[in-house]
Amino acid sequence: MADILKKIRETSFFKELSDDASSAVAARALARRFRPGDAVMRKGDPADSFFVVLDGHLKIVTTDAKGDEIIINKVGPGESVGEIALMDELPRSAGVVALDDVDALELTKDAFFDLLDDRLDVSLGILRGLSHRLRFSTKYIETAIDWSQKTAEGDYSFLEQTQPLSAAAASDDAKAAQLLSAFFSMARKVKEREDGLKQELERLTFEIDQERRKKEFDQITGTEFYAKLKEQAQELRRKRASG
Amino acid sequence: MTGKIVSIHSFRGGTGKSNAASNLAAQVALTGRRVGVVDTDIQSPGIHVLFGLDEQKMGKTLNDFLHGKAAIREVGYPVGQNTGGGEGRDKLAGKELYLFPSSIKGREISQILKDGVDFNRLNEGLQTAISEFNLDYLFIDTHPGLNEETLLSIATSDILIIILRPDNQDFQGTSVTVDIARSLDVPNLFLAVNKALPKHMNRPEFNKEIERLFNAAVISVMPLSFDMAENASQDLFSLRFPDHEWSKALKDIVPYILNAK
Ligand SMILES: Nc1ncnc2c1ncn2[C@@H]1O[C@H](COP(=O)(O)OP(=O)(O)OP(=O)(O)O)[C@@H](O)[C@H]1O
Ligand SMILES: [Mg+2]
Repeated sequence: MADILKKIRETSFFKELSDDASSAVAARALARRFRPGDAVMRKGDPADSFFVVLDGHLKIVTTDAKGDEIIINKVGPGESVGEIALMDELPRSAGVVALDDVDALELTKDAFFDLLDDRLDVSLGILRGLSHRLRFSTKYIETAIDWSQKTAEGDYSFLEQTQPLSAAAASDDAKAAQLLSAFFSMARKVKEREDGLKQELERLTFEIDQERRKKEFDQITGTEFYAKLKEQAQELRRKRASG
Repeated sequence: MTGKIVSIHSFRGGTGKSNAASNLAAQVALTGRRVGVVDTDIQSPGIHVLFGLDEQKMGKTLNDFLHGKAAIREVGYPVGQNTGGGEGRDKLAGKELYLFPSSIKGREISQILKDGVDFNRLNEGLQTAISEFNLDYLFIDTHPGLNEETLLSIATSDILIIILRPDNQDFQGTSVTVDIARSLDVPNLFLAVNKALPKHMNRPEFNKEIERLFNAAVISVMPLSFDMAENASQDLFSLRFPDHEWSKALKDIVPYILNAK
């Protein structure tokens, strides 16, 4: 039990909860176990519960136009899935499948809202956690917008001034940091390609005026001197070839 | 089997012809071949400097031969027997390398320019040099552009190496030179880039672009180098600094000369 409480406190969704509030959550939650390949949620299902992963990994999947599976994300210990859908009440936007043996806590919609009704401390803890994430997201989004604007303007100075992924990234902003990191490497690739193209353009500035080339050639080869030279050269090459 | 004539040419001046010609001749001589170098840049001779030959030491010249005042035998200066003084050149000691210099006396230069150079006479000189000195290769350092002596050199060469800088100014004239060489049926025509910038080095696309422009093989890209400029034609750079980037690029040319048919 103490172990589960600790694990609840380690999740980003519940990390602002007090011990007492965590116990209240644990009391309402169902312990669930999934085998590799088990479907935890299906796309289009009503959103009636959410899961907090204690051990193991889940993949969040959707299908592309051809019907092939695309993995959108992976979720590991301390992370939760489905909590947002619970609040906005939209059907599941993606499927969730266990990647290995997974231990999770399931909180049904009813249990969750009862908890919010009964326990002000749990509500506040969750609100605090969400606000914290929102603040991080906002900060990262602002950075991403700033970088996209700079990239669009061809100003890549931030590539030199920024450390892409700070090692200190806390677990709840790791995803946002990942996004920024992906953005960062994208910008770097864009810049590399642009530099390559610039070099290419430079290389292609070598051009010859073909008309002038022909005119100058005709001027030289049109002289009597040249005609004689050509004859003598041919004679010479014939002689050399024969002995 | 007669020796081959290798002309080194460029459309514009100062491209590096004399440095390329002298260093190539030296590299080929180092392989044990018998090599001659003729300075047909009678208007502005210069290659003798690279071989350490100065006005005092200069005896009979190509001008004397062209005017019928000397035999080719008397014009050939044995570089391998006159080493000592230049650190790189000393490596040529005992090698068979003969220089046929042009006169650097103003009066003689204007005289020959006035009289013009006779194709048959120059050609006879080249052939005699090859046979009397039993040469495997005779290098010709030419005057830039497409004047009559240069056309003569191109017409008689077995191998023509056109040096160009990666500069649009060079390209136009070089293209005409290539066309002329084709029209004169030069059997082996190669391009070598000199004074290349770092962005041109080891860039296969760059070589391809030059080959596309001229429809001829690029066999070397030699870098623009402060060390080369510093050397200021005092010595044979590729002998003094054999591992330098410029020297390595120059040596890329050697097998094309030795393997040419
Ligand atoms: N790769 C290089 N990098 C820097 N300097 C170079 C390079 N090649 C040649 N030079 C320098 O350029 C100058 C011209 O070289 P060189 O005399 O060999 O050219 P050239 O084509 O024979 O000239 P000219 O047309 O006057 O006969 C010399 O001062 C030489 O030291
Ligand atoms: Mg010269």
